Amino acid sequence: MNAMMTRALRKQERVSQCITFIILGSVGIPIWNVLQKTYAADTEAASAATPLNTLSPPLDNLYTVLSISFVAILFGIACAFYLQEWLPQTNWVRRFIESIVAILGGVPSIFYGILATGIFFSYAGTLKTIGVVRAPQGPGDGAALESLSFPHDTPVFYIVVLTFILMVMPLTIKTTQAALRSVATPIREAAYALGASHWQVLKTQVIPIALTQILAAGCRAMSSALATVALIFGIYVWQYTDAPGEMSNRFVLFLSSALLFSIFSSILIKLCTSASADPAHPTR
Amino acid sequence: MKNKIEISGLEVHYEGKPALNRVSFDVHENEILGIIGPAQSGKTTLLKVINRTLEFVPEASMEGTVKLDGVDISTIGDVYGLRRRIGMVLPLPVGLPLSIYDNVAFAPRAAGLRAKSQLDELVERCLQQAALWDEVKDRLNTLGTKLSGGQQQRLTIARALSHAPEVLCLDEFSIAIDPVTTMRIEEVLKTLKKEMTILLVTNLVQQAKRLADRTAFFLNGDLVEIDTTDVIFSDTPTQQATYDYVNGTFG
Repeated sequence: MNAMMTRALRKQERVSQCITFIILGSVGIPIWNVLQKTYAADTEAASAATPLNTLSPPLDNLYTVLSISFVAILFGIACAFYLQEWLPQTNWVRRFIESIVAILGGVPSIFYGILATGIFFSYAGTLKTIGVVRAPQGPGDGAALESLSFPHDTPVFYIVVLTFILMVMPLTIKTTQAALRSVATPIREAAYALGASHWQVLKTQVIPIALTQILAAGCRAMSSALATVALIFGIYVWQYTDAPGEMSNRFVLFLSSALLFSIFSSILIKLCTSASADPAHPTR
Repeated sequence: MKNKIEISGLEVHYEGKPALNRVSFDVHENEILGIIGPAQSGKTTLLKVINRTLEFVPEASMEGTVKLDGVDISTIGDVYGLRRRIGMVLPLPVGLPLSIYDNVAFAPRAAGLRAKSQLDELVERCLQQAALWDEVKDRLNTLGTKLSGGQQQRLTIARALSHAPEVLCLDEFSIAIDPVTTMRIEEVLKTLKKEMTILLVTNLVQQAKRLADRTAFFLNGDLVEIDTTDVIFSDTPTQQATYDYVNGTFG
């Protein structure tokens, strides 16, 4: 990245990125506050309905998703390294996984949302209950929410988790493998000819060169997952909904927080990597 | 004279297509062996066999034995140690994306050398041997890939010398270097001959004539002739093809 840019141009770019980051941050903090205030009122009712829930609902969902995608991305990167660097091209495990990744990676991400939604609906029978849900009559009246509540130990939670992993993993594996493949063969050969071991070649040559692309791959997988599986979020959030009109409101808020997060993370990663892109980039 | 490398019955195929046919010859210790021949004659493959980087080519298959100091190299367990005994300079310069200093210090560090003073000394000596020190001594921390093509090639030579190899394989090293610098490096090679055995693959027939003690002529994967340079470049080599190639009748 930016191999042909002069030092001054790169500096200019970094400054503009910082400014964008600050502006987005100053916009984002009030939105975040509103989000938290909106849900803080519901927390009592929600925790009455789902005793396992300790955080406020949106934060809870966001943390869940973040930790899932973090684990899935790390696992995907490790998987790509193993496939690309340790297994020979003719190995059947590698061919099998690569073909699956090619198929899953080609599926538009909205289908994952639809898939999960379908399982969600059919599992919980939610379609019948839309609009049927009544508002709680008083404190401790969790019966109204019973049909729609999905505490963390129900299979529905795992459906969300699996959808995320199913979506994030192929994207990460695909792009990480492409990043590893893009490291020029002569560089590896030169390092091997100097008596470096496989791990030394990886550590000193391949990873520094491919790091920018690998980070970008993880970021892209996470942000696309966040943005399009917001559909699941919306439905996941229903568990705390006590009136149909409120749902769309929450959905929009959740979508905005997810999008905001993805923009934030991509800018953060760009900021981190543009500083280190220069020494890592081979000109040949 | 002691044999450094003994090659017997070496056959290499790429997907069934022969690259080297039953090649057998010896390389003496502390000599410069010039290897000449047109493209596709198996010169680079030969060097890849010697430092065992042919193993990275999945479609290649190999028969025959190559012995280094009397030990079959395919039986050596520590392949990284073996590669450290053999310096390799590739035809196109490949600067590792590191600083100039780190480029030269890469192999010693891979071998476990950490002391800063020793590394400094080594880097300076290698760069001087490769006739690059005067040009880069003020900017050792700049990126090695930012150097010009000829400078990068000399950097790869310095890198190949950095692990004090017993055998130095030069694969058309002068392809990107100007004639004056080539002459300086050739002088260095003549002095290095006392410490190591040098295999010089070259397309410049005159370079082999200037430098080599003995010369081998390869054609289409066959070793046509190997003899002292004087004989190969005389009017009476054993094979007609050698005479034709050396005198520019073909190739």
